[in-house]
Parts: sequence; C-alpha cells; structure tokens
Amino acid sequence: MGYLKNHKRVATYAYVSLFVSTAAMLMVPQLIQNIIDSITNGAIAQQLVKVPTQFLPMALQKMNWSASQYDTFRNGAEAALITSGVLILVFSVLRGLFAFWQSFNSERISQGMAFDMRNQLYSKIQRLSFSYHDRNQTGQLMVRATDDVEKVRIFIGQGLLMAVQSFFLLTVTLIILFFTNFNLTLVILPILPIAIGLFMVFGAVAQPLFAKVQTKLSTLNTILQENLAGIKVIKAFVREPEQKARFDLSADDFMNQQLQVQRLFSFLFPTIFLVANLGQAAIYYFGGSQIINGTLTLGEWQKFSLYLMYVFFPLGQLGFIISQMSQAAASATRIFEIIDAPNEVANKPDAMNLPPVQGKVVFDNVTFRYFGSDAPALDHVSFTAEAGQRVALLGATGSGKSSIINLIPRFYDVSEGKVTIDGYDVREVCLDSLRQQTGIVLQETTLFSGNIRDNIAFGRPDASMEEVMEAAKAASAHDFIMSFPDGYETKVGERGTTLSGGQKQRVAIARALLLNPRILILDDSTSSVDTVTEYGIQQALDRLMLNRTSFVIAQRISTVRNADQILVLDKGRIVAQGKHDDLMENSPVYAEIYNSQLVEDAAVTLQPAEILSSASNG
Amino acid sequence: MMGGPGRQLRQDTQKAKDISATLKRLVKYFSPYWLILLFVSIFIVGATWTQVRTPDLIGQAVDCFITPATVSKFADAPSGAAGAAIPGQPVKQTASQTNCWYTTTDAKWTSQDYINGLGGLILLVVGLFVAGAIMTGLQFYTMTWTGQHVLRNLRVEVFDHLHKLSLNFYAENEAGNVMSRITNDIETIQQAISFALVSVTSGTLLLVWIGYTMLSKSVAYALISMAVVPFMIIATNWFSSRARDAFRITRQEIGKVNANLQESISGVREVQAFNREEANIEEFERTNAANRDANIKAVSYTAALSPVLESLGYLAVAIVTITGGIFLLRGQDMFGTTITLGLIITFLSYTQRFNQPIQQISSLWANIQNAIAGAERIFNLLDTEPDIFNAPDAISMNQIQGKVEFDHVSAQYVPGELVLNDVSFTAAPGQTVAIVGPTGAGKTTIINLLPRFYDVVSGQVRIDDVDVRKMTTSSLRKQIGIVLQDTFLFSDTVMNNIRFGRPEASDEDVKRAAQLARADDFIQRLPNKYETILGEHGAGLSQGQRQLVAIARAALADPRILILDEATSSVDTRTERQIQSALEVLLKGRTSFVIAHRLSTIRNADMVMVIEGGKIVECGKHDELLANKGAYYNMYMRQFVNPSGPNEPNSSNIPALGGLNSATSAD
Repeated sequence: MGYLKNHKRVATYAYVSLFVSTAAMLMVPQLIQNIIDSITNGAIAQQLVKVPTQFLPMALQKMNWSASQYDTFRNGAEAALITSGVLILVFSVLRGLFAFWQSFNSERISQGMAFDMRNQLYSKIQRLSFSYHDRNQTGQLMVRATDDVEKVRIFIGQGLLMAVQSFFLLTVTLIILFFTNFNLTLVILPILPIAIGLFMVFGAVAQPLFAKVQTKLSTLNTILQENLAGIKVIKAFVREPEQKARFDLSADDFMNQQLQVQRLFSFLFPTIFLVANLGQAAIYYFGGSQIINGTLTLGEWQKFSLYLMYVFFPLGQLGFIISQMSQAAASATRIFEIIDAPNEVANKPDAMNLPPVQGKVVFDNVTFRYFGSDAPALDHVSFTAEAGQRVALLGATGSGKSSIINLIPRFYDVSEGKVTIDGYDVREVCLDSLRQQTGIVLQETTLFSGNIRDNIAFGRPDASMEEVMEAAKAASAHDFIMSFPDGYETKVGERGTTLSGGQKQRVAIARALLLNPRILILDDSTSSVDTVTEYGIQQALDRLMLNRTSFVIAQRISTVRNADQILVLDKGRIVAQGKHDDLMENSPVYAEIYNSQLVEDAAVTLQPAEILSSASNG
Repeated sequence: MMGGPGRQLRQDTQKAKDISATLKRLVKYFSPYWLILLFVSIFIVGATWTQVRTPDLIGQAVDCFITPATVSKFADAPSGAAGAAIPGQPVKQTASQTNCWYTTTDAKWTSQDYINGLGGLILLVVGLFVAGAIMTGLQFYTMTWTGQHVLRNLRVEVFDHLHKLSLNFYAENEAGNVMSRITNDIETIQQAISFALVSVTSGTLLLVWIGYTMLSKSVAYALISMAVVPFMIIATNWFSSRARDAFRITRQEIGKVNANLQESISGVREVQAFNREEANIEEFERTNAANRDANIKAVSYTAALSPVLESLGYLAVAIVTITGGIFLLRGQDMFGTTITLGLIITFLSYTQRFNQPIQQISSLWANIQNAIAGAERIFNLLDTEPDIFNAPDAISMNQIQGKVEFDHVSAQYVPGELVLNDVSFTAAPGQTVAIVGPTGAGKTTIINLLPRFYDVVSGQVRIDDVDVRKMTTSSLRKQIGIVLQDTFLFSDTVMNNIRFGRPEASDEDVKRAAQLARADDFIQRLPNKYETILGEHGAGLSQGQRQLVAIARAALADPRILILDEATSSVDTRTERQIQSALEVLLKGRTSFVIAHRLSTIRNADMVMVIEGGKIVECGKHDELLANKGAYYNMYMRQFVNPSGPNEPNSSNIPALGGLNSATSAD
C-alpha cells in the first residue's frame, strides 16, 4: 500500500474523476425521466385542452396538477424536452471525459507502482547472496517479478478503484431509488441478496474448476512437450501407440473438464441475467400498477428500470473484485518475501575499501555450511597462499573445492574462522573493492546479450577498444571474433549469434583478463571442444595465471605439476597439501587421483595440416 | 463499461493468407456435428427473438394499459359528471390503441382491470426472459460442446501427425518452437470457438434483427435512432487499430523486461563477481520505464474508447426521446408513423441494446481473425508430408539375426550436401563396431540410418539381407535399442521410464534390467525407489545416473541390434566405471554400433571404422589399424598419446578419446 504514496497526485486525479464521472452517469436516468415526464405531461395537457373548460378543474384535481403546472406542461413541454436533452449531452460528455481521465490516471498509478515494485525486486535480487540464489530457481523469481507484480498491479490499479466505484454507485443508486419510490424499491430489494449469493457461489465453484482446467491443460502440454523433445527415443522404442493413447486420454480428460466449466457457465450466466431481468419485470409490473393508480409517473418508471442496471452492474463487479483480491493478496505476499529477504552477505556499516592488494590469501580455521545443511562443506580448513602463488585444488565432487573458491570473493560467509586477503578479513571490506580484485573463470560461462565487446568489458565497461582487443588476443579469442562479419560488434546472447562452448570460455577468459585482478579463480577444464581449440584455451589459461595468486580447480596434469601448492580435499577437509613431487611420494590419495582423474594436456605437436582439418571439423 | 474491449485488443492480430480455404477446411471438422449445430442455430435465433420481442412488449404495456389507464382517469371525470363522451378525446386514444396490438381494452375498464391486464403481459415478458435464459444457456453449452469436440479431434490429429513426421522435420524445426506454435494456435482457436464465434454470431443477428424491427415499425424513427451507430463503428475501429498498434509495442517492451530479468537472474553470480549490480539496475530501470510508458500510452486508447461509446449511447437515447417526444407533443406523424409513448419506450429500449454488441463484435473480430490464421498454420503442419512411411508391401520382420550391411550408401540432410558418401560395410551378427572420427564426419548419420530415422539417397541399408525400407518401421525399430548421448527421460516414475523399453515387462523384469545396468544401487537410494517420479528431462538425477537408466531401458528392450553414443559429458570416476561395466554386459551377444570415445571400447571392438568427411577412411581391428600407421594411428597419437607426458600408450592410465573426460582404467 505504501506504493500508493508515491503517486498521491495522480491517485487524487483518479479518485476525483471517478466521483465526477459516476455522478454524471447517475444524472442520466434522472434526465431521461424528465424527458419522458415532459412528454407524458405535455401529451396529457394537450388532451386536457380539449376538455370542456367547466370540467378542467375537476380533471386537474384528478391529475393532482395545479393550474400553473398545467400551463407549464401545456406550453413548455418542448422546451423542457430540449433542456433535458442538452443536459444529457453535457453530462454524457462530462461522464466521458472524466471516465477517460479516471482510467488513464489509474493506469498511470498502477503502471507506476509496478515500475517501483519491479525495480525494487530487481535490485534486491541482484544483490541477494549466492546462498539465496542456491535456494531459489530463476523461473520462480521471474514469475514473481512478472506475473505476481502484474496481479498486484491490476488489483491496485483497477480493482481498488472499481470497488470504490461499485460501492459508491450502489449506495447512491439505492438512495435515489428509495427517494423516488419507496415501495417500488422494496420490491427489488430481495433480488439483491439473491444476486450476491449467485456471484459468491459462482466465485467459490468456478475458482477450483478453473484450477483443475489449468492442471489438465498442463498435463496435456507436458505430454506434447515430452513427445516433441523425446521424439527420437519414442521412435526408437516404437512407443507411438502408447503415447497416442496417453495423449487421447489426456485430451479427453481436458475436454471433459472444460465442458464441466462450460456447463457451470451455461447455467450461471443466463441465471444471473435472468435474475436481473426478473428485477426489471417486477419493476414493469409493480411500477406499471403504480402508474395506473397514479402514484408513479411514466418517467420515474423508466428511470427505475435504468437505475436498476446501476444496481446489478456494481454487484457483478464486486464479485469479480473479490476473486481478484485474494489472488492479489497471495501475489503481494510472494513479492514481499523477496523484498524482505535478509541478505546474509552485505557490506558492514563501517566497511572500508580494500586497498590494492598483493594477493596473500589466508584461510584461518574456516568452517562453512551451506544454508539449511548440517554437514559442513568445509571443516576447519587452514592454509596460506602467498602472493603470486598458483594453488591447485583437487578432490571428488562435493569435497569442498567450490566452497573454497566461493569464500574468497565472499560469495558466501564463513560459518566459523576467517578468510583474509593481505591481512584484511573479507567481511570487513566493501564487496565492490574486494571483487574488483578477484577474477573468475568458470566452466559454465554465461554471456549476456549485447555484443562481444560489451561482454569482454563486462567487469570494466569503461575499458577502451584497444584494451578489449588486447585481452581477447591474450585469451586466444581475437581470431575467432574477427572471423565474424561484425567482429567485436557481433551480437551474442538471446537473439544473437550462438557461440560454441569453447568460444564462450575464451570470451570469459578475456573478460577476466581485462579486469587484471590480483587474485584469480578458475576451473581449468575445457568443455567439449576439439583438440586445437582445447590447446588454445589451455595456453590462454596459463597466460592468465601468470604472476597472480591463482586458485585452480584442477583437471589437468600440467596444472598440478606446475602448481606451487596442491590442496587435496576430501569431505571438506584438506587431506594432503604440498607440491606435486612430494605428494606423489607421500600421499597415496593424491597418487590415486592423479592417476585416475586427471587428464593430459592437448598435444602440442600437431602438424599444420591437421590443425587446419580439425579446425574445419570443429 | 470498464476493461471490456481492452482484453481482446491486447492480443496480436494476424491475418490468414487464404481465408476461404482455411474456413472450408475448418467447416469439415464441424460437419460431423451438423445436427447439434442445427440446434445451436435454433437456440441462437430463439434467444435473439426473445431479446427483440421484449422491448416491443414493454411498449405494449405502455400503449395498451398505462396510457389508456392514465387517459381514462381524466376521461372518467367528465363522463362521470356528464355521462357523455368528450368530443375529440377518442382521437388520441386511438393513436395509442392503433399501436396496441396486444389486446383490445374496453373504455369501461377500471384501474384494477388495467393492472390485471398489465400483469398478464408482464407474465408473458417473464416467460420470454425465462425462455431467453434457457436458450442462451443451451446455445452456449451446445456450441462449446461442439467446439471442444472439434478441438479435441484437432489436437489428437496434430499429435498423431507429429509422430508420423520424420526426424528431418525435427532437425529443421526446434521442438520448443513447434510446441509453442501448436499450443498458441490451438489456444486462439479455442477462444474463438468457445466464445467469440457465438458472441459475434448472436451479436450480429441481434443488431440486424433489431435494426429490421425498428425499420419495420418506422423507417424514419429507426433511421433517426440509429444515426449514432456509424459514429460508434468509426470510433471503435479508430481506437481499436490505434490500441492494437500500441499494444504491439507493449508486448515488445515486456519481452525486453522479461529477457533482462531472465538474463540477470540466471547470471546473477557473474554479475556479482564482476561488480555489475549498479550498472544492471540502471539498465533495468530504463527497460522497465519504457515498458511502463508503452503501457500507459496503449491504455489511453482503450481508456478513451469505452467513454466515447458510452457518451454516444447516451446521445442516441437523448435523440430518440427528444425527437419522439417532439413529434408526439406536436401530434405530427413522423413521415407516416404515428408516434406513441409506447413506441418511444420501445425504441429507447432498442437503442440501449445496440451499444453492447457493437463493442463486442469489434473487439472479438480480431480474435476470430487470429483463430483463422492459427488454423491455417495448424493445417500447414498437418499438410507437411512425412518423409518416411511404410511401403505398401512392407513386411513385418520377425526375430532377426542382426547382420547389418551398408551397400554403397549415400545420405544427406540438406539436398546437395552429402554427409555420407558411398559407404559400404558389413557387420556380422553379434559383432561390435566402433565408429570413430571427428565431429561432423558422419558418425551419427550412420546410426540414424539403421532404425530408418532417415532414408538413404542412394544405396541400401540391409538387415539380415532385407532393405530397411522394405520393412515396417515398427518391426524394424522394435529390434534396435538405442542409448543416446543426451538421455531423455519422461516425467514419470523410474519404473515406467525403464519399462518404456518394453511396456509389458513385469516389475521384476524392470529391476533385473536395472541391476544389469548397475542402476539398481542408486535407485534404491531414491526417496521412493522405483516409484520416484523424475522431473522434466530427468531432473533430480545426475547425468551419469540418467545414462544408467537409459542403459537399463535399452537392456529391458533386449534388442538384437544396439546403437550406442558414448557420452562425453563429465561424470565422476565411480559412475564412469559403473557405466562402463554396464555397457559391457549390454553389448554381449548383440550386433552393436558404438560412437566410441573410450579407448577400452575401441580396443574390444570387433571392427573399428574411421570416418572422415562422410567416408570410411579405414576399417579394421585396433591393433591392425595402429600397425597400418594411417589415419587411425594419427588420430590415436594425437588424442591419446602425449609425447611429453609420463604415460606410454597402453599403460594403465588412459584418458578418454577427445582428451576431455575422466576415463577409467577399465582394462
């Protein structure tokens, strides 16, 4: 609700317009009554002209008219008619203008609020720590920033306004009706609870039915989707008949569910209209009787039936709003869950900038648990990496390699102990200044939509073209980039050129190189690429590591052989530590891993012809 | 009054290329239901009739009972006093009564008589209301019933057709695109059939009928009453086309917002690693603001349309009552029509009924256009001829031996670009053939030709000396098992995923197959063991585990011929060993084709085929090929042997072919 405050001015416009336009709308039936009454009275007055003068007073008395009224009716009917007509025109224009102004402004408010909410969600999501993102899937977060915001927007922009309008319209209409003719109003009053009841029943019954339709539809679509994605498997195992039977069944199921909803609609909609129409019929009969008995005029009678529409209309709207409200409330809860989510990793109030570092990294008795997990991912780990050292991390999946590299740029916070860089605890310094000095190249590379240049300059948008090209050359990326018609301006990401795994990896290396970080974190595996590319990537990685403190999740033999320090991890503990030769002698665990898990570097003795042929194949 | 037309305008409009042909074809789908459609028409006509009738009857209430009763009141006075008729008075009473066809009233009627008469008339109106409600309900239901049946048939037909299409179609069309096309198109057709069609039909009928009734009552008065209608139509068209253009922009803008969100959420780790939060937030605010502004602009058109129509509606009401009133008061005939109070009330009521259908038709028209365009696309899909179908004289193969021959086979995906060029070889029953070669050499094509996923352009693929094109595809494929690199699992239980290989297999058979594939171990550790439901693409299982399930699936099928694409994706050492030993069991005794990445597979193969550029460049056993020092030797030296490395060829540490994955020392 606080969001409304930002749009106070526009909200005032919207609500004022709402009242004016509704009031103008309420005037119209009254004016129609005036016209019809003018016509009737004028017509009767013209009849009375023909009544012999001696009987006129008697006739007037019978009609309850005074002599002056009679005069007005007789001579001024046409003028009254035209006056009312002009008034209708004026009010309808008023109504039109303000109705437009109202919906326009309500859209401005609701869009403005959605804008605020999305921005807030977005900046929160961008800053939430890795551990939050581990727990939440992209799809879920997307839905909240799109669908949920939209639901809240529609409710606050339209629903709230509609509710106010409905109440206003309903109350004023009922008051007018009571003042026009009390007895006739009593006639239609019993219809109101029936209508409300119908709307509520409809809401209660329809909602779960709709949900069921959605479930059946998604089942149907899942089958379709699986059949498209797995067509080869289905053809290979000749399972078409079963899949067809499955789809037929599901299609029938969906159809029947749809028909169930339609049955409800086919019953409820006409019934609701019937109730409204019966109200009209009651007015026709009882109103007609009153006219005949002289307690109601024809104009009032018409007015009544027009106002009756203003009674049913808001009732329908309210029913609609109620169902919208519960959805909007659920959506709002989901949105605020994100906005209010605590961010574990954030700058301390007194955090200072990390000065340019040498790159000495110390893990001091570090224990680390992932959110919601009892077993520590790192269990009392201590080691020191001197500035400029190359540290190779070895171990099975889940042994704690990733945890170590994630703690250095403070993507997570340690549970116990501390991580220091040049003696600064990473939790004491500003995140920006810390992460500016650490570069990361992971195996799974995400590129962002934009051109290649933007992606290389991702961490330093102000970098010059020369710097970008230099980084790309060092990452062996320059050649393939230049082979694209648009060179560095080639669009990548969604709706852009698709880069191969190896090309992406080289862009990621260039990206990290451009940052010129003191500390480097990388994964030296190469995703499925041909031999020549692989060789190029490995060369680039080696260049990247030169003269920086580097932490490498090692997959290659050459990495460990060249490492200044090897950490062998098992179940969150360091089980062996040292240089390759020592470890080969002293650590059977290391020898086993070395022999069974590491791979050779791509050969460096390729013939030029072979390079050409395999490059064209890859 | 609010939000009405906006919803439909938000959709995109597409125009079909050949509307009449598409409609003709759509009609065919409806023709089996002609009897029901006849009823639908009757209901539509009936419901519309009640709507046209009611205002007329209300007019009668005024002309037959209310006016006479009011007039008789002051007529009573003199007649009571003088006992004589007033001269001139009957003239006007006749005007009302000439228009009163419902009943003849008697001048002697008391008020109560009039009220009773009115009651009778109103009962008739109530009857009409009830009849109208019933017919509307029935019309709605019968129409949607038909529509839903047509849609179901269309869906099933599309689905069946998707299975008939060859893999070539899926190579050209991405599964995701096909999926979204089908679902979107059917969705628009569904909207049109279940709602728009009935609304537009009955709306048009109502408009025409009301127009006709008004005209037949009084041409002049009718024309005056309908004077606003052209303006309504012009306004609707003008605003709708503006709104549609504006909403097209909003769709693009929200698309950008979504793309931005998607990218920065999925890439959030990189964003934080490179300190890009602030820059990204700024960029998002720009995208977001563009979306907001586009929406406000678009809505200003729809927000204007409703009030304009409403105002025009009020204007029409004013025109009807004022002109009618003036003619009545002046006692003039309107070009030959006597205006009565009842007639004014009737026309007033008709005018009010004009407004809604015009709005509805204009907004739903786009919907119907879209549906026709959607239907056209669906029909185009149905018209796509499958490349591969059974020959009329195709034979059903019984248990085969497993002899496979390629006889001068050439194949292509794109006309003119041969991917296999004159390939010939023979694999004896039970042999294991390892296929090696660089990416794009044609390895996958060879294994695609065996189960006849594609057809050769020349030459023959023969199994047990029969051309695969002479067999029914089902009898052929039933004898071939396939384990692909990217394992596709269904969102179903583990049990059913394995059983996919042989639906009639018992639970015990499934478990035996899983044990054979070394998958039983990890399945036992799943929360519901064999009954654990796997997510889309088998999420929840690791890559290696998915492969084991796929191996179990193939093992259960117990095929005579096995096709295997060895995975290059990284799995941990333990799983790798399990996969390896599972495959060894599986290959035994079957003719097998393996796209090989592991040295152990190649060494154990009865025949190694080296493919390059769509040709077999070398063929033989591992040792022979090494001794030949040809293409295989070069490839082997390049990929398995590192001259500067510590390991010699054939030592116990042999990395995988391609040098990427952790390999096992399985031998």
